[in-house]
Amino acid sequence: MKTFLKNQWARLRRLEEPVLPLAAFLMSLILSGIIMALCGYNPFEAYGAILVGAFGSLRGIVNTFVQATPLIFTGLAYTFAKKASLINLGVEGQMYMGALGTALIGTLNLGLPACLHLPLAILAGFLFGALYGGIIGFLKVRFGSNEVVAGVMMNTIATCIVGYLLNGPLLAEGSVSAQTERVAETAQLPRVFSQYQLSYAIFLAIAACIFVAWFLNRTTFGYELRAVGINAKASETAGISIAKVMIIAMCVSGGIAGLAGANQVLGVDRRLINNFSPGYGFNGIAVAALASDHPIGVILAGTVFGLLSTGATELNRTTSVPVEFVGVIQAMVVIFVAAPLLIRDILHIDGKRRNK
Amino acid sequence: MEFFLAYLVPILTSTVYMATPLIFASIGGAFSVRGGVMALGLESMMMCGAFCAVLGSYYTSSWAFGLLCGILGGMLIALFHAILSVRYRMNQVISGIGLNLLATAATTLLMQVIWKNKGTSELVVSIDKTIGGPIPILSGQSFNFFVMVAVAVLSWIVLFRTRYGLRLRMVGEQPKAASAVGLKVHGLKYSGVLICGALAGYGGAFLSLDQLNMFVRGMTAGRGYIAVAIAILGRYNPGHIVPFALLFGFCDALQIYLQGQGVSAQLIQMLPYLMTLIVLAVGVKHIQPPAGVGKHETD
Repeated sequence: MKTFLKNQWARLRRLEEPVLPLAAFLMSLILSGIIMALCGYNPFEAYGAILVGAFGSLRGIVNTFVQATPLIFTGLAYTFAKKASLINLGVEGQMYMGALGTALIGTLNLGLPACLHLPLAILAGFLFGALYGGIIGFLKVRFGSNEVVAGVMMNTIATCIVGYLLNGPLLAEGSVSAQTERVAETAQLPRVFSQYQLSYAIFLAIAACIFVAWFLNRTTFGYELRAVGINAKASETAGISIAKVMIIAMCVSGGIAGLAGANQVLGVDRRLINNFSPGYGFNGIAVAALASDHPIGVILAGTVFGLLSTGATELNRTTSVPVEFVGVIQAMVVIFVAAPLLIRDILHIDGKRRNK
Repeated sequence: MEFFLAYLVPILTSTVYMATPLIFASIGGAFSVRGGVMALGLESMMMCGAFCAVLGSYYTSSWAFGLLCGILGGMLIALFHAILSVRYRMNQVISGIGLNLLATAATTLLMQVIWKNKGTSELVVSIDKTIGGPIPILSGQSFNFFVMVAVAVLSWIVLFRTRYGLRLRMVGEQPKAASAVGLKVHGLKYSGVLICGALAGYGGAFLSLDQLNMFVRGMTAGRGYIAVAIAILGRYNPGHIVPFALLFGFCDALQIYLQGQGVSAQLIQMLPYLMTLIVLAVGVKHIQPPAGVGKHETD
């Protein structure tokens, strides 16, 4: 038993892959709790409320996955580009454009059966997102533009375009708030439970993660993409076209982000609503960080973030603890998970004390 | 002449006014990047600066103390950023984004704790804006206009004409070589990031104490990201950063003016961003950051 514990401790000290993000996650929860206590709130009450809110009822569990679905898509989008060492900060904008594309097709009454209309609407979301993301890749390859700046600029441009269209040409008749008409019956994503917003897109999100993991590790293009990400110059020497890889990587990344928008339009809101995203794009980066840029990890990380957001509503309803603590926790998670050396340092000090 | 007085002067006045916080923050970004640390956390430094400035002014009823607190607030976040990215070698993009998330949540939270109001803080003593007297464009600016000019000139001198600047840039270009010739790589990086925090904090304080007299939730509203863009467009050189920041300020000012003319608000809001994108594509091609950004002396 003692040697077992010792071995486990040694493993923890070496911090192998699955242990490290978990330790970081727990540490960020503890630190956030300390901050809560310093602000004069009871952290146990807060964490209790978050857990009850997220797991206490079917509604909570379902809402956790409703929140998780777009985060898994956006987290996966960021991860995909990251594998080619591209920092896609334009996820939010690509999601908006995807939602726009989906809404354009989805609200049309094409007279198609659902088995054609629905895939078509989803495809439109993917394509709009992919084109919008592809622009960033093109700018980078053709003009050497910094993708970080281009992404941030295109986020605002996308929200402005969508905002303009929703206040003018696409505004639903007789609607006071900026939104489109309801999506046609044939284009609606079916819901898992009729009374909740959770749509089958959650399975699409999970499938996308698994597909991307397979694609990156088992296909030629996936190999090329990772090669460019690790060493662009060496891959060019080896005959890989960096330009092609980068543009396609940005297209696919944007397309996945577009799917997040498609889900919101077809599954959750059933129409395109102005400012529908409470920051899914940037939180997707946080999700990717928590998943240490691993496609499968994104599923889990997205669920954790979904859990926190769902718990936040319960926090608001039953306790006096401000909802913003959830934001603090999320930020702490991102920072701690992405700083393995910091965790090592903290645990090291801890370890010394235990050995005495 | 009539047109000039009626339209151009107010637009140019607000151009300078809008550009000032951007100039502070993006020059700060230049210091950080020249030292080899990416500056995506500018937004959080500005946010914290704006918040701490109001906090300082609230408790002491003195805007001067508020400005000081703003600088310190920006430096606090910068210190976190430096510790995480220099000492603990965290991915600088994630560190910046994480701190941005943290600053947005934490400032809203503290507003709730201190003022029992999530939207706005209480009104505090702000900066007197009559310093320019009757001179066009300068009237309506506070002394911060002169601070901004001084910062722009001084930072250029510091970066490109002093021993410290040369060493900072060497650390940013080639940390390994800098370490080999005996420079204190970590110390220099910390200094670059802290200067960045101080300037971004000052820019944030300008938003809350000069443009307004309170802190508003999500006050910086993406200005930190724009400052990152300006720093890149200006090739991390204060001399080039100022004109780009003014260009942005001009778009901002034009947007306010055009909104009064019945043009769709959303399309106008797009203007500054669209322009950056175009400038990025056709104006300044292939900007390379210093070679050592994100690298460590042992790499």
